[in-house]
Amino acid sequence: MGIRRTMISIALALASASLAGLSARAEDVKLVLWSLDRDIQPAPNLIKEFNAQKNGIQIEYRQLQFDDVVSEAMRAYSTGKAPDIITIDNPNHAMFASRKAFLDLTDMIRQSKVIKPENYFPGPLKSVTWDEKYYGVPKATNTIALYYNKDLFKAAGLDPEKPPQTWTELVATAKKLTNPSKNIYGLTFSAKANEEGTFQFLPWAQMGGATYKTINSEGAVKALSVWKQMLDEKLASPDTLTRSQWDSTATFNAGNAAMAISGPWEIDRMLSDAKFQWGTALLPVPSEGAQRSSAMGDFNWAIFSSTKHPKEAFKALEFFASKDVTMYKDFGQLPARSDLPVPPTGNALKDSALATFVEQLRYAQPRGPSPEWPKISKAIQDAIQAALTGQMEPKAALDQASAKIRSIGG
Amino acid sequence: MKRMFSSITDGRGFDLVLVGVPFTFLLALSGLPLLYNILMSFQEVDMFSLGSVVRPFVGFKNYVDLFTQPETMSILRNTIVFVVGSITGQFIVGFALALFFWINFPGASWLRGLFLVSWVMPGLVVGAIWNWILSGDFGVLNFLLQQTGLMSGNIFWRSDPNFSLWAVILANIWLGTSFNMILLATGLAAIPTDLYEAAEMDGANAWQRFWTITLPMMRSTIGAIIALGLIFTLQQFDLFAAITDGGPNNSSNVAQYWAWDLSFRQYDFGKGATISVIMTVFVMFAATVYVRSTRHEVRG
Repeated sequence: MGIRRTMISIALALASASLAGLSARAEDVKLVLWSLDRDIQPAPNLIKEFNAQKNGIQIEYRQLQFDDVVSEAMRAYSTGKAPDIITIDNPNHAMFASRKAFLDLTDMIRQSKVIKPENYFPGPLKSVTWDEKYYGVPKATNTIALYYNKDLFKAAGLDPEKPPQTWTELVATAKKLTNPSKNIYGLTFSAKANEEGTFQFLPWAQMGGATYKTINSEGAVKALSVWKQMLDEKLASPDTLTRSQWDSTATFNAGNAAMAISGPWEIDRMLSDAKFQWGTALLPVPSEGAQRSSAMGDFNWAIFSSTKHPKEAFKALEFFASKDVTMYKDFGQLPARSDLPVPPTGNALKDSALATFVEQLRYAQPRGPSPEWPKISKAIQDAIQAALTGQMEPKAALDQASAKIRSIGG
Repeated sequence: MKRMFSSITDGRGFDLVLVGVPFTFLLALSGLPLLYNILMSFQEVDMFSLGSVVRPFVGFKNYVDLFTQPETMSILRNTIVFVVGSITGQFIVGFALALFFWINFPGASWLRGLFLVSWVMPGLVVGAIWNWILSGDFGVLNFLLQQTGLMSGNIFWRSDPNFSLWAVILANIWLGTSFNMILLATGLAAIPTDLYEAAEMDGANAWQRFWTITLPMMRSTIGAIIALGLIFTLQQFDLFAAITDGGPNNSSNVAQYWAWDLSFRQYDFGKGATISVIMTVFVMFAATVYVRSTRHEVRG
C-alpha cells in the first residue's frame, strides 16, 4: 500500500518533470561551460545574465577545482566529452591550442564587433595566440609589482615617495630596511618550487633581456644572482624558498618585511590588515632605462574544437567580453583590456595601487606560449632553487635548465 | 539444475563462489589498474592520449630517462630515509606510549583515546599546522628551542635543504604515532597476565620480562605495524604538499610526491607511472619479507 502510493507519486513527479522539460523551448541550443569561478566570480554570474536574455542559447555551468582544470579538460577532450567553453590558465593555453583541441577563432574575431585584438594588452593576447592565430579570448589578467611600507622607509631615513627603480637600488634599499633585531626583512617574494616561483622569476629574467629559450643568458644569470644575494645576505627570509606569494605578502602586512613583490589580488587584504602607510611601484629594472617586464597571470576563455555549436559559443564569448567594462567593479578582477580604464573605486590608496598595476600590465608577458610549458617551468624552478640553496652557482644552474629546456624542445 | 543449486549452497560451488567474489573484486580494483600502470610505464603518454589504451610504445625509454636525471638518485634516497625515519620514530614513540598507558593508571584509557585525535585529522590540516610550527622566522618550534636555550639562531626547517626532509618526517611521526600506539596497545592487552606472574615468581626483572615475554609475544603485531607503516608512509602525500612542496631543490622530494608532480603538474603520465612501478617493486619486496617473517606465527 505505502510502496504503491510512493510509486505512483514518483511516476507523477517524473511525468510532470518531463513535461516541464518539454515546455522549455525545444529549439534552445545548450552549451556547457567549465570554469573554476566561484559564485562571487565572473563565470557563473555572467552565465546567469546570459541565460536571462533568452536568446535561444542556454549555458550550463560546471565549477572545477584549480588543480583539476587541465586534467579534467584533457580527459574530457580525449574521451569526446569536452565542454563547449572552458576557462584555462594562460600558460596552459598553448598546450591545447597546439594540438588543435581549441577552436581557431581568428575568422570569427575578425568579423566580430565586440572582440577586437587591438583592445587587449599585448601579453594576454599573446597567450591565446598560437602560430599567429587566435585560439581564445583573454578573460582577465593580473601581474606583479612592488609594494613598499612607507612608514619603514621613513624610519630608515629613506624618502617614502622614492621607491627603488633599479636592481642595485632595490638591494641597497633592502639592506637599509633590513633589521634583524626587530624581525624585519628588506623584501619578501616567492621562490617556491611550483609555478609561483617561475611566475616571480621570469619577469626578472625578461627584464635582463632573456626569454625562457635563452634562460642562461647574461641578464638572467644576473637576475638570479641578485635573488641569491637577497637570500645570502638575509635581506629576504630563507623561507622565501617554500612560501607562497600569499603567505609571503602576509609577512609584509604584518610589518615583518618592508617591501613585497606580488599582485593586485593582495590589495583588499592589505587594506584591512596593513596598519601602516604603503605604496606601490613598478618592478625595478636592471639599470636605468632598461626594458620593463612583468609576469602575467589569470585565465583565458576558449572554445573546444569538438563543439557542435561554434557560432553560439562565440556569441557567448562576445557577451562575456562586453561585460569587461564592469569586471573590476563587479568582481574585483582586472579585464585584459587596454581600452577600458579601471573606474575609480572611491578609495585613493586602492586607486593608486590599481593604476600601478594597469601601468605594469603594459609590460606583462605570458609564460611561453609553449605546449611544453609545465616542463619548462619545472626546469626553471629547479634552477632557481639549486642556486638559492647554494648547491649550484647561478650560471651553472641556469645552464642546466637551458639544456633541459632545449631537450624538451621548448 | 537442482544439483548445481545445491552445489552452490553447500559444496564445491559454494567454495568457488567464496573465493571468486573477492578474487574478482581484487582483480578488477587492484590487479587491472596495476597492470595498466605497468603498461603505461612503457608508453609515451601525454594528456591527449590519456583516453586510449593504444599509445606509442617506447620500451624502457621512460626508465632510462628517469635514471639519467640528476635528481633521481637523491629522490630515491630521500624516500628510503623518509620511510625508515618515519617508521622508526612512529614505532618507538608509539610503543613507549602504549607501554605507558598499559600501566593502567586512572584515566589511562581515556587519555589513550584522546591520542587518536591526531590520527583522525586530515593530512592537509596537519600539514598546515606543522607549516606554522616549522616556519623559520616565527615558528613555534624555533621559539621553544630558543626559550629553552637549546639553540641560539633560527633554523629554517622547511627551507634549509639539510632539514627540510626531517621537517616532514617529524610531522609524519606525530601523525602516525597514535595509530601505532593503539595497535600495539591491543597487542599488549592480548598477552596473558599469568605469563608475567610466572616470570615474576621465577625472579625475572622488568627488563627481562619485557625482553623475553612482551617482545616475542608481540612479534606478529609488530610485523603488522611495520608493514602497515610502510604502506602509510609511502602513501604520505598531503604533508609534502602542505609543508615543502618537495623543495628546496628536491631536498625533501620523495617518490610518491614526484610521481604526482610528473603526472599531474608536468603531464608526463608515462614517467609518473614508471615511478609508481618502481615503488611497487619496493613494496612487494617489503611485503615478501613481512610475509616470510610472520609465516610461522600463523600456525602457532
